[in-house]
Formats: sequence, structure tokens, C-alpha cells
Amino acid sequence: MATVSEFTFSNFIKSVLWLLFWVLMIVSLIALPILFIVLFYVPPPVINGVEINPYLLLTMLTNPQVGAPLIRPTLDSLFFRIAVFPGFTFAALFATVLIFAERKFLAKMQLRVGPYHAGREAFWWANSLGGFLQLIADLLKLLGKEIIVPSGADKPIFWAAPVVLVIAAAGLIALIPVAPGWVIADIDVSLLAVFALLGFFPLTVLLASYASNSKYPFIGGLRALYQLISYEIPLILAVLPIVILASTLSLTGIVEAQYAYWFILLVPIGAFVFFITALAELERIPFDLPEAESEIVAGWLTEYSGMTYGLIQLANYIKMYALSALFTTLFLGGWMGPEFLPGVEVFGVEVLSSSETSGIFWFTIKTFGVALFMILVRGTNPRVKIDVLLRAGWSKLIALSFINVFIAVALLYLGVVGVGP
Amino acid sequence: MGASASFEPLLWMLLFGVVASVPALIVAKMIAPRRRFFNPVKFMPMECGQVPSGEGRTRFMMQYYSYVLMFVVFDVMTIFLYAWGASLFGLPRFVTLPIIVFLAILGAALGYAMYLSSRRDIW
Repeated sequence: MATVSEFTFSNFIKSVLWLLFWVLMIVSLIALPILFIVLFYVPPPVINGVEINPYLLLTMLTNPQVGAPLIRPTLDSLFFRIAVFPGFTFAALFATVLIFAERKFLAKMQLRVGPYHAGREAFWWANSLGGFLQLIADLLKLLGKEIIVPSGADKPIFWAAPVVLVIAAAGLIALIPVAPGWVIADIDVSLLAVFALLGFFPLTVLLASYASNSKYPFIGGLRALYQLISYEIPLILAVLPIVILASTLSLTGIVEAQYAYWFILLVPIGAFVFFITALAELERIPFDLPEAESEIVAGWLTEYSGMTYGLIQLANYIKMYALSALFTTLFLGGWMGPEFLPGVEVFGVEVLSSSETSGIFWFTIKTFGVALFMILVRGTNPRVKIDVLLRAGWSKLIALSFINVFIAVALLYLGVVGVGP
Repeated sequence: MGASASFEPLLWMLLFGVVASVPALIVAKMIAPRRRFFNPVKFMPMECGQVPSGEGRTRFMMQYYSYVLMFVVFDVMTIFLYAWGASLFGLPRFVTLPIIVFLAILGAALGYAMYLSSRRDIW
């Protein structure tokens, strides 16, 4: 049992000195050696032929003009792309905005207010946002909660499942082009890679549910498996017309093929089927059978608590961003749109061109619109039964996607699009 | 550029997923409260407040088996169609005919299986 010492001034001074001692110890024993090792043994990064040493960094503080030619090469580096812009930080920020938008938008649809108080009076401009700091409060709450692993659980799989979900979601966002040239992994078969990564999610869900050693998660995991069986084939077939019309499996190539018209105008049935199956893939409300909170407590998430639950939710919302972005890329023309935004220049050096800023703007707007539409569907629909989902998936959605394929082939052979031989 | 070179950023991204998620778990482990004494009730599987009965990994009825069987067949078919669809521009028109025959055979099989799937006693 911890003893609570009496609050006196001497105890206060003692505790402050004690804290200071530990800070000094940690700095001198851990931080300083790491700093020295980095300074002495790690070679400084060379960007655009210029060695970035500490002197140059200090010079940039007083004279930012020195650093201006180095900005664009930094933006082009693989680490920046993976960690910040089209990569993880952008996706996580988008996911955060989506969570907040979902809470406010759902509350509006259900005649509630939603998050209201947190952060309302923190800044003068935050008054109209209303409760946007609730997300930070939730994050701190999740960080501070005890992670309970149920007895009899398969511990390695139980701990690995949230990490695997985040990894698969990160792999999805690596494949999606955000603006001309702004894609992390420009693979010529990136569409197939997307399908391969999407297959990881239900399998991980099944593993997590089996590892929990509990009844509700197990039922939820099996439902995830049946859901996979019902939506996977329509999902893959709905994109086939896009591949036929664009004649490439690369997502960048698919966006570039839509420079004149969006594919949703040519194959609207495919867009409809893809949207429905994306909802099923995301386990969102018409198809949230694996985590149906009114039937099987929280489905496969039941035994997850604290930060493991937080990571699973992060992966879910990154996946929602990725699938909205995929819908935008495949059917809504990706970054294509009027180039009206000016480029970004720093001290006369062009950092982002006009086409890049406009591309990022249009991509973000379209993706956010698709995600809002998903939230709209969530707010207005009840959950379907598993046999209804299976029968609808196999008889209606597959038939629709086959019709869609024939429409694409007919468009090609009638000479409406492309140059048939 | 070889295939491995273009897949390399994807692998780095997957690694970054680990780098971004594992520290969150470690920090949560560090700052979250720990158990002072072992309370077995806390670590029971969740069963809405009841004492759990039986095993967690229960036996279950294998429902919808017909769909599972059909999935094994038709999931492979979709990837065959991708190989055809991606190269359709460069192919002469008569090559589409075998694909249509292939689709007809599989479609007829799918229709028959869907017709039979409503009869429980067959599956």
C-alpha cells in the first residue's frame, strides 16, 4: 500500500528535488549518450547534394532562405512520404477528422448535440466547432486505461491483432495516389495489392476473436468470416470494368485514364456495388454484424480494452479513409479537377506546383464527401440479418456486377471508349 | 525498375505501421494502472456479468456451408477475369468468345448452386 506523506513545505521541496534528480539522471545517462552517438557516428543526411549538419540547421533558424531549396527534396524523400504526407500522419489526421465529423453528423441526424463542451472555450475560433478537443480527451482516456487480457486467451495473437490491423491499414494508404506523383508505392499491380491487403482484415478479426477465448468475440469473428464470403466477390468484380476501361492495374494509371470523364458516369452500377461492398468491408452499420452492439455485446471487440481497442479503432478509421479514397480513385477521378489553386513558393523557390495543390484539394474534398455519404448511410439504416446479407450478396450484387462487366465490354466494343482493334 | 524495387516503399510503410502502433501499446502499458492483487473475476471472459459457463471457444453449427463452397470456386474465378480484363485492349475480338463461354459455364453453375442452396437437406 502506498503511504501518503503529509503535505508540508519540506516534503514539497523534497519531492521537487527528487524529480530534478531523476531528470538529471535520465538526461546524463540516456539522452546525452544517444545524442553523442548520433552526432559522432550517424552520418548527416544529404539532401540535394547539401549535407545537413547542425551548423546548417542553426543557420536556417536565423536565415530561412538558406533552407528554401531543400524543402522540395525533403518532401520527395521516402521517409517524409511514409511518415507524413500521403502516409501515416495524413491518414491518421483524416481519420481523426472523420471520427469527429461522424460524431457531430450522427448527432445531428439523431436530433442530439454530440460532443459539445470539450475545447469550446479554449480558443476564440473554436466556439463554432464545439467539442473538438473531445477526441484528445478520448485518446488520453484510452491511453490511461488498464489493458485486460482475459484468462485463457492466446496472448501473442491477442496482442498482435491490433498491430496487424494497423499495419494492413498502413499498407492500404501506401498504394493510393493523392496527387500527380504523390504516391508512396507506385506499383503496376497496385489494385491487386489493395485486394490482397483487404483480405488481411477479416482473417485478423477471426484470429483476434479466436484468441480472446470468449463466446461473443467468437460469434463475431465467425460473422466476419461469413460477411467476407458474401462481399468479397462482388467487391472484386465491381472493379473489373474499371480495369477493362483503363486497361491497367495501377491506381495511378486508373486516375490518369479519367482525365476526360469520371468512370462513375460510364459504370454507375459498379460504383453502387463497390460502395455497398465497401460498407460491408468496413463493418459499418447496415453490415456491422461482426460488432453488432445490440446483439453480441461488441462482437469481436468485446475483450479488447484500453489502447488495444484504440488501435483497432484507429485502424478501422484509417481503413474507412482508405476505402473512401479508393472509391474516389476508381470512380470519381482521383485528383482530377480544375486547377485553380496557386502553387506554393517559399522565397521564390517552388515547393508545390499548382497542379499538385489543386490535386490534393480535389482528392481531399472528394474523399471526405464519400466518407460523409458512408456516415449518412450509417445514420439512416438498420442492421441487416446475416442470411439476408449472404443472399443479397450472392444473388443480387454478383448479378449486378456481371451486368456491369458486360456494360464495360459493350462500351469498349461499340467504340464508345478507347480504340478497339 | 524491377518489381522488388517498386514494392520496397510498401514494405517500409508496413514497417512504419509497426513503429507507429507498438509504442502506443508500450506507453499504455507504462502509464495505465496495474493490478495490485489478482482478482480472478476481472479476468473472466465477458458474459454480461454472469459467471461464464463452458469453454470460450464453443462448438458452433456450420451454417451457410453452400456459400462457403461456392466462395472457394468463384473467388479464384474473379482473379482469372482480372488477367483477361487488364489485357483486353491489346487482344483481338475473337478472344472474348472463350471468356464468354467460361462466364456462361460458371454463371450456370452459380445459378444452379443458388437454386439448390435454398434446399437445406441437400447441403
